[in-house]
Amino acid sequence: MKKLTPLLARLAALLPPLALLTPRLAQAENTALSTEEPVKPQVSATPSGAAEGANEPQKPAPKPETKPETKPEAPKEETYPSGKFEFGSYGRVRVAIDGRGGTGRSSNIIAYGSRLDEDSYSEFELRREDTWKKDLKTRVVTTLALFPPFFHFTGNPTQSIALRNLYAQTTYGKGNFWVGSRMYRGDDIYLLNFWPLDNQNTVGGGAGYTLGRGKEGDTMFAFHAGMQRLDNIFQTQSIQAVAPYGFGTVSIPKVDRPRLIQSYKITHFLRNGPGRTVFDGDDAKGIKLVAYGETHELAAGVQQDPLTGKDRALPSDFGWLAGAEAVYYTGKRDTYAQLFVRHARGIAAYDPLATPTSFSNGYKTSGAHETTVAIAGNVEGETLAVQWGGYLRFFRDASEASSSLQKFDEGTLVVRPRAYVNDHFGVAVEGSYQRRRYAVPNAAATGQLDASVTRFGLFPFFSPAGRGSFKRPEFRVIYAVSLRDAGARSLYAVGDPFASRSAEHYLGLSVEWWFNSSSYP
Amino acid sequence: MKSLRTLLTRALQTLPLVGLMAGYSACVSLPEDTKPALKTWVEDWRDEVIYQVLVDRFADGDVNNNYLVRPGALARYQGGDWKGLEDHLDYVKTLGVTTLWISPVVKNVETDADVDAYHGYWAQDLTQTNPHFGNKAELRSLTKKAHALGLKIVLDIVTNHMGQAFFYDMNLNGKADIQIGGTGTSSPLTRISEFDPDWDPRGVQASTSLGLAGRAPLVFINDPTINRIPPQPGILGTARAYHGRGRIINYDEEAQTQLGDFPGGLKDVATEDPEVRATMVDAYTRWAEEVDLDGFRIDTVKHVEHEFWQTFGPAVRQRLAKQGKKNFLMFGEAFDGNDVKLGSYTKNEELDSVFYFSQHYQVFRDIFEYAHDSKAQKGTDQIQKLWDDRFKNWGDKPADGGIGIAPNKVPVGFLDNHDVARFLFEAKGDVAALRNALTLLSLEQGIPCIYYGTEQDFAGGNDPANREVMWPTGYSTSGDTFRHLAKVLRVRKTYEVLRRGDAKVVWATPHTQNEEDAGIFAFERAGGDADGYALVVLNTNGRKASSTSDGAAAMKSSKPGTTFVDVLDPKRATYTSGGDGTLKISVPAQSGMVLIPQADAQD
Repeated sequence: MKKLTPLLARLAALLPPLALLTPRLAQAENTALSTEEPVKPQVSATPSGAAEGANEPQKPAPKPETKPETKPEAPKEETYPSGKFEFGSYGRVRVAIDGRGGTGRSSNIIAYGSRLDEDSYSEFELRREDTWKKDLKTRVVTTLALFPPFFHFTGNPTQSIALRNLYAQTTYGKGNFWVGSRMYRGDDIYLLNFWPLDNQNTVGGGAGYTLGRGKEGDTMFAFHAGMQRLDNIFQTQSIQAVAPYGFGTVSIPKVDRPRLIQSYKITHFLRNGPGRTVFDGDDAKGIKLVAYGETHELAAGVQQDPLTGKDRALPSDFGWLAGAEAVYYTGKRDTYAQLFVRHARGIAAYDPLATPTSFSNGYKTSGAHETTVAIAGNVEGETLAVQWGGYLRFFRDASEASSSLQKFDEGTLVVRPRAYVNDHFGVAVEGSYQRRRYAVPNAAATGQLDASVTRFGLFPFFSPAGRGSFKRPEFRVIYAVSLRDAGARSLYAVGDPFASRSAEHYLGLSVEWWFNSSSYP
Repeated sequence: MKSLRTLLTRALQTLPLVGLMAGYSACVSLPEDTKPALKTWVEDWRDEVIYQVLVDRFADGDVNNNYLVRPGALARYQGGDWKGLEDHLDYVKTLGVTTLWISPVVKNVETDADVDAYHGYWAQDLTQTNPHFGNKAELRSLTKKAHALGLKIVLDIVTNHMGQAFFYDMNLNGKADIQIGGTGTSSPLTRISEFDPDWDPRGVQASTSLGLAGRAPLVFINDPTINRIPPQPGILGTARAYHGRGRIINYDEEAQTQLGDFPGGLKDVATEDPEVRATMVDAYTRWAEEVDLDGFRIDTVKHVEHEFWQTFGPAVRQRLAKQGKKNFLMFGEAFDGNDVKLGSYTKNEELDSVFYFSQHYQVFRDIFEYAHDSKAQKGTDQIQKLWDDRFKNWGDKPADGGIGIAPNKVPVGFLDNHDVARFLFEAKGDVAALRNALTLLSLEQGIPCIYYGTEQDFAGGNDPANREVMWPTGYSTSGDTFRHLAKVLRVRKTYEVLRRGDAKVVWATPHTQNEEDAGIFAFERAGGDADGYALVVLNTNGRKASSTSDGAAAMKSSKPGTTFVDVLDPKRATYTSGGDGTLKISVPAQSGMVLIPQADAQD
């Protein structure tokens, strides 16, 4: 293990330089992953989806500090069946001004930018957990999500609500399976609200199995198959037809082509276990390795052009993606470092909650591709902590034109140090740089459209749960200034204040919480 | 532990792979993202053959800019773009044309009265591209590739008017009204549109129930959904930049022609205003600078005062010449059969040339399109007279810093264009007449201009039926008309004298019936700025073969005792002139010959 430590140190040392590769990335509207996903913090470096089971093989990688061993009490006799209801939640609420009499507004120009100025969002999870007999368990999970703006802000009593989870899962021994509508995802980059490797939102089912010598297992396999049929005429369209009997019209399906998605995931932990020593004398440390893949299919269809009423053939489409993740964690104070790599092609290059907006001349997405390299991490001490996150993303649509708003490079690097005044009070600062470079000329046609935003933020915080970058709830007073270059300003239409202002201020209050949520273990 | 080290070592070994993956995609680039260095691509404009492209109709190279496209509805966008044109440059090159005249590139009002601005003549912003066709990088890419293939690009521009940007608030109620009044029986049915009211020399007047209320305010419309927003740049977004006198209703009245709005509510620009003039010069010269254009085709020149052209022409030439762009061609569209009127724009440093509308009417319509109608068809002596008149009516000196050729030697000839019905429509499908007309167009003095689709026998009627989409043709190069035109243009290219030589008519006739020489027209190309000699003989009669003689009189070549080869004839027939130059030839109906002295003939 002594030899391993310097090796890991070197590996960790490579991560920041990787971020420097980002230097000049192109920008642009992220059509690929543009679904404005609700923000979900993932405190751990552990996947929350694929292998979730009663024996919870992938408990968050950064584990709490090891407590002094105490003699275990004699196990209580359990009775079966037994069950309970659980309630969990994730949420954040903010209110902010821009210092000019307006509301605070996000000035991100890339798909996943700094979240200092992000909007409110909340989820409420109700969960039923039952143990039917030893090694046979089930849980039923329902998660409602609320999207802003909220009633007290607009006075409008309507509210955007989504059902993000509605599924049941059973675990039997080392295997598990589930069926339902589910957020199905792995590790995120908290500072960017970004799941660089796997982030599926489908209705379907999946299964997992754990292999290994230890109780918690070493290797987990997970498979899932699901579908989506977004409410967009790319995938679904109903048209009116003369009623077969009587008068009037009836609605008939014209386009019905769900995207079928399969995901494959293998997660392997390198860590000490029964009869196995990987890290000498340190059972909390570990390395998690993930290999991940997806395949996507979309059947052919015929769409009725809403403009002309004429039929237009929609060809079938296919895509795949492959990626990997490596996480090193110390098990102490949520200290870890992550590296993600992912490459996607065809329809898989587009987030399943979004439909492509550009195509090859045959109206296919073959030729589209996306490559992402991302890093994240957190190092914590008693009084200081540093979080970081960043990524490079190269997206190319299937358009046969060399110039397209859907061909771009983007990237960001965010660093957030924090210092604790005492167990509950602290101050954090954040610096970030984001940039996107498009394959279109800039407004003056003197070069490529190239936009960047540099942001500095300061937020004193109060953490009732104590010290820790991932301790919640956290109450904050945030000030941030975003410096926006000419390219960033040009992304906004004439008349939008963002088209002319080079510095954007944000002063606000916010609170973020999470507890007992199966989506954020 | 050993296996862990191995694993980590392997993990590290994958990092270069990560880098490769990143490098594979990185970094996004745009081939033509900066302003090109300007260069003079044309040596002598008489060597050029122009091919008019309505971009929306020529080729769809990128489906992603097909916004609000309605296939088959020719008054709406169809999907063509610059990428499509770029992808088919080989096709136009195969045809033998050398210069592309592309429809306007600037951002337009999207649509009006259920007709789209696919043609490009409803400008809203002279500084931005029409996104239906692409962006500046794509336009540069087209130009660059065209130049690499030896093709040139001429841009269609409009200074006379902008799109329908405002309405005349004639009843002072602050909104645009269209009112229909009268019964049609006891009182006339009238339609008053505040978008497009009739000409009023005082300026369009406002009135209320109490009477006149002075000039109607010009109210700019703000409808971003169809990009009907105040024009750009600068002064063009203000009322000061417009005459505000309503729509032309009498084209014979000079004031209306110059100051009235163009039908369709296209607002007439106050081109006499110095700031407007400067704006026009700057806005359009920038396109030439930013895209490396080779010339302007200028719309509606007769609706703009001469003084404007006397400012515009020299200003553009001088500015471009300073940057290395010389021989920049500016030719205008004066939609008028009056040759004197046409010629007036080619003098006093105005334009290098104009479209030969008088020839369109007097030659291609009266003689070629009516080839089968002996009553309607005019004699070829009409051609001779028209050509002779050109040397009286058109400028005989090149503009300073212009293309270096006297305008009367470089008329831009054409059979048809996007504003008139296609030749075959008027000729009722007579393809022989079309091919014969193409022979004359290609070999006469000046710059031939061919409307896209002519080579594919397009036969659409008036606008927009004459604006067909090209893609159903598959860009075939095997059609008879395509091959005929390509052959004639090859001959033109081969013999310099057919491009740069002067023209002299050696036989023309008033006969159109059954006379011996009915329909014959012959002219020599010799002298001028080229060596060599060519004799072009055409029979425009659609019913019979005719001869270059009329009784005792016969055509005389200026090359006596010379054996000529018909280089259009696959069999290479030869003809020998007599000692006095006499050359009596029988020419089949609706066909032509290009006779080159045998010694000069090339394979």
